[in-house]
Amino acid sequence: MPIAVILGGGFAGLTIANKLAIKLKKRKEVEIVLIEPADLHLYEPGLLYYPFNDKPMSKLEKPISKILRKNVKHIKQKATKIDHENKKITLEDGKVIDYNCLVIATGVDLKEESLGLTDKDNVHHFYSAEATLKIREALKNFKGGNIVISPSTVPYKCPPAPVEFAFLLDEYLRRKKIRDKTNIKFLYPLPRPFNIRVVAAKILKLFEKKGIEFEPFFNYDKINTENKKILSFEGDKASYDLLVIIPPHEGQDVIKESGLGDKEGFVITDRETLQVEGQKSIYAVGDCTNIPASKAGTVAHFSADVIVKNMISKLDEKEPTARYDGKTLCFLVTSSSKSFLLDFSFKKEPRKIGLHSWRIYGIMKKLFQYLYFGGLITGRI
Amino acid sequence: MVDYEITISIDARGSFCPGPMMELIKAIRQSEVGDFVEVLSNDEGSLQDIPAWIAKAKHELIDTVKEADFNRFIVKKTW
Repeated sequence: MPIAVILGGGFAGLTIANKLAIKLKKRKEVEIVLIEPADLHLYEPGLLYYPFNDKPMSKLEKPISKILRKNVKHIKQKATKIDHENKKITLEDGKVIDYNCLVIATGVDLKEESLGLTDKDNVHHFYSAEATLKIREALKNFKGGNIVISPSTVPYKCPPAPVEFAFLLDEYLRRKKIRDKTNIKFLYPLPRPFNIRVVAAKILKLFEKKGIEFEPFFNYDKINTENKKILSFEGDKASYDLLVIIPPHEGQDVIKESGLGDKEGFVITDRETLQVEGQKSIYAVGDCTNIPASKAGTVAHFSADVIVKNMISKLDEKEPTARYDGKTLCFLVTSSSKSFLLDFSFKKEPRKIGLHSWRIYGIMKKLFQYLYFGGLITGRI
Repeated sequence: MVDYEITISIDARGSFCPGPMMELIKAIRQSEVGDFVEVLSNDEGSLQDIPAWIAKAKHELIDTVKEADFNRFIVKKTW
């Protein structure tokens, strides 16, 4: 019986597993296997809001067993090596799994330890549940001073996230009545606060309106924790009382060990076919790839349709013809009640309609968790 | 005309903003003072972003060569 293996159970991996399971429900000739060590799935888009509220983190979690369709076998193990010549995957306990077709959805590895920081340094992020709880506490105890926001790396997950954090932070500090005692400084590697020019221009206007200071061309070099300064590769520095840094991102060790990644360990992937370079039986999806698209759930969602179609074509011994066009649809939060809606692709700039900060988009962003668990990750949409 | 020998060449054609500029920054980080780094880019935005970053970081843009369907930026690491 052919075996389709999905490596990684984040949003991308679970979506592919469930979409395949739906398509192949009546055809029992394919075994679908998910390799993912975790029991719980975290709704990552929700982390952005949690530094500013008191909700328990459990509100963002759901057991994988309740998300995954019954005709998918879940192996709760970490993979250590992909032998792409012999189509075998080695697991942490030494067992070996065969595959006929593999989808790599291993996400990114956050290299927080490479920053060499301790809890006392007042340097935080919001890219994991644990870190989000820590930044929540730090913000509760914050009485005023300099808050600096900076990515330490490009690319990073969810490109608008640092900008969105700045907007929500501004609102939070106003609610706390310490905005007048706080400078918010936004440092960014590019000459503008977002890669798409037309969107960046809108963000700059809002930054000006809200009194958020912007410093362009600030490529992170290091943090001097003794003097509480962040230093750039260009030779600039900024003082902080609380630093919000997007941690370094790399591909997972299994990718590096298997010779399928670029220098940072991101899977070398064709941006249209989503096939891994030189591998006809391996696809890659989501944050783990090196394709020039956002590391965002929306990219994984639209890519998943392409991969599933091509996998089924192969199963039917037809030519896989589906192609990903870079379709990206995402919300960019500008306050707790308003968002931009961005709609673009490899060849299409964001549409005008998506560049208004509207309350309806703010509501949609808040309700998105229901759509995420109810339709997207279950493969129904 | 400056005489130079390219130390690192980056082919960033097909990569969109900010790809080519970020590839250049990575290469400059890894190179030695006096090295010449070449970046090939067919992203129109690079024509603005790359010279602007070089000026900000106080390196030297030796030349921008217009090829048939891409641009070639030659940069000297000065510090």
